[in-house]
Amino acid sequence: MAVPGAVVPMRIEVLHLYRTLLRVGRQFSDYNIGEYSKRRTMDAFRDNKNLTDTRLLSAAFSDGKAQLEVAKKQAIVYSLYAPKVKSILDF
Amino acid sequence: MASLLLRQTLTKTKPTAIIRRFSTAAAVASPTEYEEPTGITMKGVKISGRPLYLDTQATTPVDPRVLDSMLPFYLSRYGNPHSRTHLYGWESETAVETARAQVAALIGASPKEIVFTSGATESNNISIKGVMHFYKEKKRHVITTQTEHKCVLDSCRHLQQEGFEVTYLPVGSDGLIDLDRLRKEIRPDTGLVSIMAVNNEIGVVQPVEEIGKICKEFNVPFHTDAAQALGKIKVDVEKCNASLMSLSGHKIYGPKGVGALYMRRRPRVRVEPQMNGGGQERGIRSGTVPTPLVVGMGAACELAMKEMEYDEKRIKSLQERLLNGIREKIDGVVVNGSMDRRYVGNLNLSFAYVEGESLLMGLKEVAVSSGSACTSASLEPSYVLRALGVDEDMAHTSIRFGIGRFTTEEEIDKAVELTVKQVEKLREMSPLYEMVKEGIDIKQIQWAQH
Repeated sequence: MAVPGAVVPMRIEVLHLYRTLLRVGRQFSDYNIGEYSKRRTMDAFRDNKNLTDTRLLSAAFSDGKAQLEVAKKQAIVYSLYAPKVKSILDF
Repeated sequence: MASLLLRQTLTKTKPTAIIRRFSTAAAVASPTEYEEPTGITMKGVKISGRPLYLDTQATTPVDPRVLDSMLPFYLSRYGNPHSRTHLYGWESETAVETARAQVAALIGASPKEIVFTSGATESNNISIKGVMHFYKEKKRHVITTQTEHKCVLDSCRHLQQEGFEVTYLPVGSDGLIDLDRLRKEIRPDTGLVSIMAVNNEIGVVQPVEEIGKICKEFNVPFHTDAAQALGKIKVDVEKCNASLMSLSGHKIYGPKGVGALYMRRRPRVRVEPQMNGGGQERGIRSGTVPTPLVVGMGAACELAMKEMEYDEKRIKSLQERLLNGIREKIDGVVVNGSMDRRYVGNLNLSFAYVEGESLLMGLKEVAVSSGSACTSASLEPSYVLRALGVDEDMAHTSIRFGIGRFTTEEEIDKAVELTVKQVEKLREMSPLYEMVKEGIDIKQIQWAQH
């Protein structure tokens, strides 16, 4: 059923979103937040791999894009206030 | 624009400590006093980096998504939600009401039943003292447990000094209360039963649904301190028949300084306000509602609702990894509190034949606590462990590991390694442990005085 406003993302867009989310995760200066960001991205994309319903697909994709915007902003904020000494696991 | 600013900020040279006259730059406690490129020195301890954070029962880091929702209210939307005459007030009020609905959704309540406070401590104070003062003509008795949070116990002690009677229910060695004992203790003049949902020190989950059923049967209001339970286990005010519930913001990856109190409307429970003033929050808690904090708590609750299942599965596997990792390498490890009825993110362990203070001193690269943060200043062993019936020496060596959303496998493995190393080192030096290894039963020894 074609729902107005539901834009089904193409495979290449989904992959691009995935790679960008992982890249932003790596940029976090905080060890815990960065690891969580990467791990949550991988798990979320893996769980939604087999979605076929167009509505769910486009909802998940736009949710992912919204999360990316938040992640980009917060990566900047965390780097502005990063402590001089990092976590002991970063050495 | 933002990237240009960012590049300029990050390439600036380090600011000098010279304070220029007429400068309005805030005098923030500069961390340059204890942080150097080689490590951190504080209170005589030198560590190479920031410790692993495994103390999520004390507080949790603010989730970046929560911070993102809070920042606009510190930057441009800074209005007072009680200002009725301009946009700043209207947008602030809308945000507060949205947050109220988010908090209510997480516990299955209506937004009209949520009152924002400064934290779970204040909510507990309002519940216990407020309810009993309101009904003080007819109701003079309160029932609580020996393992409650300090604020609940202190409020009850305050009530005792005013002439009320308080029954402190004992707990079994697994940390759970005896439901029949509770049933027997309820009297016609019992005004409140206050039992926490998840204990902050041992992580034990009390049977709140059964307790709620008993309270409903005897028509006694049931207050539960759900600060540690919110967002971690499913809490529903209808299922546990709670009349009052205390919630805390900073235990669910939200900001510190905010909490909420759920007050049931049907049947209505009345309280005497502890904060008098302009009648905000339906007269229960006067004072300007801190919009950014409240928005943060709302966002944290919404996140918790979405992520609860994912977090729980992950934290459970991390807890098993931690416990098995430690048990594989050393023996004499006791878990305090029931293993079945437990929140997975809380692991309270006692190590036999090891002295507690020295163990904590050696674990400076892992941020853990022994006992709760509120009582860690005093030298007494935790009253919760004493209520469980744990021996003095085991109570002294207890360590509470807290696992949260942001904990990684690497951190758990490193914590296991550091703990095992420290315990083995201390046991090596311990003459008591030598005697145990030779087969002597320590408890049978008659210690001769010199």
